[in-house]
Amino acid sequence: MRKVGIAGVGHTKFGRSEVPLVDMLALAALEALDDAGIRTGKGHGVDQVFVASMGAGLLNRQSSVASALVDTLNLQPAMAETVENGPASGASAVKLGYMGIASGMCDVALVVGGELMRVVTGWEATDFVATMLHPDAEYAYGLTLPAFAGMFTRLYMDKYGVTEKDLAMVAVKNHEHAMHNPVAHIQLVPSFHAIIEDEDAPVINPYVAEPLRVYDVCPVSDGAAAVVLCAMDLADRFPKKPVRIAGIGQATDTHVVAEREVPTDLLAVRLAAQRAYAMAGLKPEDIDVAELHDAFTILEIAISEEAGLFPRGEGHLAVRRGETRVGGRIPINTSGGLKAKGHPLGATGVSQIVELVRQLRGEAGGRQVEGARHGLAVNFGGFGNNVVATILSKEE
Amino acid sequence: MEPRMYAYRCTACGKLFHPARAVCRECGGREFEAVPLEGEGTLLTYTRVYALPEGYMKPWLGFGIVEFPNGVRVSGQLNAEDLAVGMKVRATVGVVKEGVGRDYYGFIFEKAAQV
Repeated sequence: MRKVGIAGVGHTKFGRSEVPLVDMLALAALEALDDAGIRTGKGHGVDQVFVASMGAGLLNRQSSVASALVDTLNLQPAMAETVENGPASGASAVKLGYMGIASGMCDVALVVGGELMRVVTGWEATDFVATMLHPDAEYAYGLTLPAFAGMFTRLYMDKYGVTEKDLAMVAVKNHEHAMHNPVAHIQLVPSFHAIIEDEDAPVINPYVAEPLRVYDVCPVSDGAAAVVLCAMDLADRFPKKPVRIAGIGQATDTHVVAEREVPTDLLAVRLAAQRAYAMAGLKPEDIDVAELHDAFTILEIAISEEAGLFPRGEGHLAVRRGETRVGGRIPINTSGGLKAKGHPLGATGVSQIVELVRQLRGEAGGRQVEGARHGLAVNFGGFGNNVVATILSKEE
Repeated sequence: MEPRMYAYRCTACGKLFHPARAVCRECGGREFEAVPLEGEGTLLTYTRVYALPEGYMKPWLGFGIVEFPNGVRVSGQLNAEDLAVGMKVRATVGVVKEGVGRDYYGFIFEKAAQV
């Protein structure tokens, strides 16, 4: 199997897009192609394009987005597919790009993830995201991702002693990280005192799905992210040394959340991470920086444990000790995470990879993790029923 | 539509499931028989949601995960105050969502009568 690397990355400013879906995808794609030194036009050398989008059909009433993107970028006759795997669409698309190159079927693949969500109201966006739940046993009740996250949080608090303050610490940390990331949606750090300690905290930071509050939940964002994947045996073609994809793991769990044997377990996260570590020949202790799917603050804590970065039930203690901030032992969500950078669903998995590439290249500016060699991304679909873990390694 | 909820028993191994599924998790069996799922259960966790999706006119709704004595766990709406994990709740069946031309029925859990 050929080794696969990332030769270029691109990322739009998350938030509200001024341009339609495919134009937004093209902005990220062109930045990634430029970064990889690929000139558009004849002889571009891109064999395959994957576009990750969860909602183009539902939100934007557009299908076959990858075909449209290939055309606007003038990449014909490259192969093209649109990939839908809920909020894990991005990492799934990267995985498929990896498979395409590792198999020998192509040499260079462009992977773009994007979502244009702010064309609908917040209520419609919440409804749209909930369509990934079980139609009869969950969705029809009005259950949503925040509802399941709230119920999960209550169990986690009871079992492990996680507090609302711990969750607020995660939020503030990620907002602080985002201040150093120019493409993050929210460029503002909330005051810890104001959102959790002040007598007006329930007004400033009201409950969304008890015990989760506004500042525990990611915003609704537009945005796109892109990576250029290449066979490592072709690394000399590109101006920057490609960052190697060392391991990818993916796992699924029950669709219906109530059916999980241990309701506080995120089994698919554990299995996906274990598979990624095994493929990379690495252990959790080898990871220097991690992007974990903090659509809700509790998920950053729970995923950090399931991925082996901390013992079970101790993720929140690491947050209290400051171990997960830039400068700490294992910085998590240096990009600002979904919480502050934003969560355009199809973009997120690709965006996590973009952040890791920037960290491993030493291009992360004020949020740089010094000497980072191995990075882990966990992209979480459903309420944990389809999870992709990816490990990147710096080539020495 | 008869407002009644069911679990589905694998005819090969007897394991119960909700909702219906194609293949038994336990034994791989493919045939199931419907058995009514009702009565009291235990509240495992709960939440009150203030940002409801499109289609709901209420300011908030309660939701919970409940385990029936037969081991089946389900999600449902929760119409009760003073909630606590581990409390007994009673399953009722009602309209959980009003749709165009049809209503959706499902579990609405209420506090079990005090003994």
